[in-house]
Amino acid sequence: MQPQLIRDLVALLGQNAVLSEAEDLMLYEYDGSVELGSPKVIVFPCTTGEVAEIVRLANRHNTPLVGRGAGTGLSGGAIARDGGIVLVFSRMNRILEIDAVNQRAVVQPGVVNLDLTRAVEHLGLYYAPDPSSQRACTIGGNVAENSGGPHTLAYGVTANHVTGLEVVLPDGEIVRMGGKSIESTGYDLSGLIVGSEGTLALVTEITVKLSRKPEAVKTLLAVYDTLDDTTETVVDITVRAITPAACEMLDGFTLRAVEDYVRAGFPKDCAAVLLIEVEGLTETVEAQAAAITEVCRAHNAREVRVARDDRERDLLWKGRKNAFGALGRLSPMYYVQDGVIPRTRLPETLRCIEEVSRKYDLQIGNIFHAGDGNLHPLILFDERDRAQFQRVVAAGTEIMKHCVSVGGALTGEHGVGMEKNELMPLMFTQEDLDLMSRVRAAFNPAGLLNPGKVLPMGKACGEIRVQSMPVSATTPA
Amino acid sequence: MSRPAQASLTRLEEIVGSAHVLTDSAELAARQVDEVRPSAVVQPSEAAQVVDILRFAATEKLSVIPCGGRTKLGIGSPPARYDVALDLSRMNRILACDPGDLTLGVEPGVRIENLLQVLGEQRQFLPLAVPFADRATIGGIVATNSSSPLRHSYGAVRDFCLGMEFVTGKGVPAKSGGRVVKNVTGYDLHKLLIGSLGTLAVITRINFRTFPQPQAQGTFVASFADSESAFQFCRTIAHSVLTPQILEVADPAAAHLLFSADAPARIIPKQWSVIITAAGQPSVVDRYAHELGRMAGAANAAELVPLSETEASSIQMRIREFPRTILDAALSAVIFRINAAPAVMPALLARLTHLATKKHLDLTTLTRASGIVYAAFFDEEGMESPSAASASAAREVFQICSLPEFAVQAMLEWCPTEIKRAAGGVWGPMRPEFALMQRVKTVFDPQSVLSPGRFAGGI
Repeated sequence: MQPQLIRDLVALLGQNAVLSEAEDLMLYEYDGSVELGSPKVIVFPCTTGEVAEIVRLANRHNTPLVGRGAGTGLSGGAIARDGGIVLVFSRMNRILEIDAVNQRAVVQPGVVNLDLTRAVEHLGLYYAPDPSSQRACTIGGNVAENSGGPHTLAYGVTANHVTGLEVVLPDGEIVRMGGKSIESTGYDLSGLIVGSEGTLALVTEITVKLSRKPEAVKTLLAVYDTLDDTTETVVDITVRAITPAACEMLDGFTLRAVEDYVRAGFPKDCAAVLLIEVEGLTETVEAQAAAITEVCRAHNAREVRVARDDRERDLLWKGRKNAFGALGRLSPMYYVQDGVIPRTRLPETLRCIEEVSRKYDLQIGNIFHAGDGNLHPLILFDERDRAQFQRVVAAGTEIMKHCVSVGGALTGEHGVGMEKNELMPLMFTQEDLDLMSRVRAAFNPAGLLNPGKVLPMGKACGEIRVQSMPVSATTPA
Repeated sequence: MSRPAQASLTRLEEIVGSAHVLTDSAELAARQVDEVRPSAVVQPSEAAQVVDILRFAATEKLSVIPCGGRTKLGIGSPPARYDVALDLSRMNRILACDPGDLTLGVEPGVRIENLLQVLGEQRQFLPLAVPFADRATIGGIVATNSSSPLRHSYGAVRDFCLGMEFVTGKGVPAKSGGRVVKNVTGYDLHKLLIGSLGTLAVITRINFRTFPQPQAQGTFVASFADSESAFQFCRTIAHSVLTPQILEVADPAAAHLLFSADAPARIIPKQWSVIITAAGQPSVVDRYAHELGRMAGAANAAELVPLSETEASSIQMRIREFPRTILDAALSAVIFRINAAPAVMPALLARLTHLATKKHLDLTTLTRASGIVYAAFFDEEGMESPSAASASAAREVFQICSLPEFAVQAMLEWCPTEIKRAAGGVWGPMRPEFALMQRVKTVFDPQSVLSPGRFAGGI
């Protein structure tokens, strides 16, 4: 006999919208991170009204509730840490309106990021935030995590592109905030909710800005024999006030893995490359490409190549965006970090990561948004080796501590989730965290919405959970 | 003196030093808000003093309104209570400047003019071309979400503010965000403080990303016989590959204000004018000249005039200072700031014009093409004192904005205190999310120490 909660959910949504068999639940135990948690039941609502009803049911049953998009998140945001209901938005995947005049789209949370761009590109428009998982990840998930992507450098993160939200509060109330206009009066509630990792409200409708496709694009690949020359180039590009649309770095180790997997045309015998894109008017692009080439050469780039056509450009980006997957072929598991540092501290930080790699005897690949100072060290490991996993966690913590010590942050785009919540005291005082916790309680008083995320669960500073056992993670991220 | 009592003043003097607690009437009058005067002005020099002052205020149930350059104290509802003016103008240090990272951390009392000068030495800037530029402080600009024509290409404060430190109404120091250009660690509480009129917390540090100054700028003015053509021209630009720095639409009255003094004879100030600034290297500005000329022709512009550098900087200054220019001309002007998506702008402006005619009022509008309309109503008969006609027009503006065909949010940003009361408030009709805002207020300032009564929904 099924538990009452599941019978109630079936009565509400129908048998086809509820999963509760063990083999089904297993598929929702993980996301793109190394975390794990077992839900009791999975539901697939089709409307905001159904979401609100599910929330009310969860309250009646005093059961935790976790929203989930495509499950590509990298910090455990969509994992049911305390069990309960996982509410999957995959059936709420309609683009409700494309408003070309105002350059806005109104979408349901389950719309896949790239599908929105595909739906508007015939109008010369696109949706700018481009997480590497954009072929799979959903806009609802992007809103929860305030996702970035390579082109964040010029165009900003998700928060800069959201103008309105419809949300279901943890008591089942449906509230709209903002709309198509660029500003609204009153406190910036949508600014608070974007990036709140599903802990304040469930977002059921999103109004986003659409951007105009640039006239010209140039993609440059600069090849280096030393890491220092590579990072110094990034510092110099920022200092000289050149703003490319994207400036990505891949180290030699990562490149070789990517090249074996994607055959994107990356050199396999170098220390690192920068993948730099400039966009805009033809005149801007020409001038910026020339200026960047000059900076790269001044820092001993052994080659600066410009992608000749869209095919070559797409291939280079395919290499970049599949890099996590490529490294996944080399190792049963990886742990990807997301620290941010001031751009001027890039050279010393990369040296610090090299040192950590040696100290803990771990292979670390570096592939990241260099122009933003947003690092993604990928620590490779085998989850069957328990001792090694302890070293992975220690190495990761050491890198994050370094980021914070130079004025940086724990996460630039992946979110805190259940991965870094116990590290929050590295950046925030008890007062800061108490205030955040009270803001959460103002929205989510019973704590049923995505419990155990973002804020520490009451452990001492710097401690990290190590009991979670990683599972397979070769999803391209 | 009623409140604070002498004992309170003594305690405040202990915190900031006796030289920095002011009680003489000129100082109090200079910080009055909607005709309500504080009993004391307290001038802290550092965040720790703000903590002590707010703790004391919370204990003694004193009401505190933060201020800086005092240029925008008139924005918001009249305060329910007001005991202490917390003058942050002594907290005017640039705390961190990392030009290589294009980031910056400042105290709230830094004047925007000084900040822009310091950044200018690095060939950088903050895209805050805001009114009262000679006196406005960065804290006040952030707390009022002061609008800048540069918003068109750089966004508003929320888009380039990286984090803040602040002290809550309970006197607890806290922070959110950080100082790096990309960061999703923790809740973005600082976003709540932008435009909050000091009702949640007192800001003690703001971190920004800065921007490189463009190599060259070019400013152009296109004139049109009617608003439809002017807005059609803006739409054409918005749907082209051009991304101007500034794109503003001045109605004939606003054009007259912007251009009258030293306007080049070739501009026709009686017409709807679109002002466009292009930025980039010189070849980009040339390209804009070419493309804009073509688009203006297609949109039936009377003409497209490129401005000289002097003309451009004078026009940009007047656009920046628009609310101030209006208030200088008519103290009793009623100025709305309306958030409208571009598609509804022409119809909305037509309705507002109709309303002004009906009420025998003058109307001047300046529109940020990306979505903010400044609509100023004034009464020729009563330039110095408010009239019944302006008050009833103010009420009707809120009604027009609420119509389903517009459904836009408006705020009555500038007007005499009597109009605020007569118009039934400055925030427009109640909205469901105001209840959520009230919950946020309760977290930050449970005793309503900070700027009580000044915000939306009676906060």
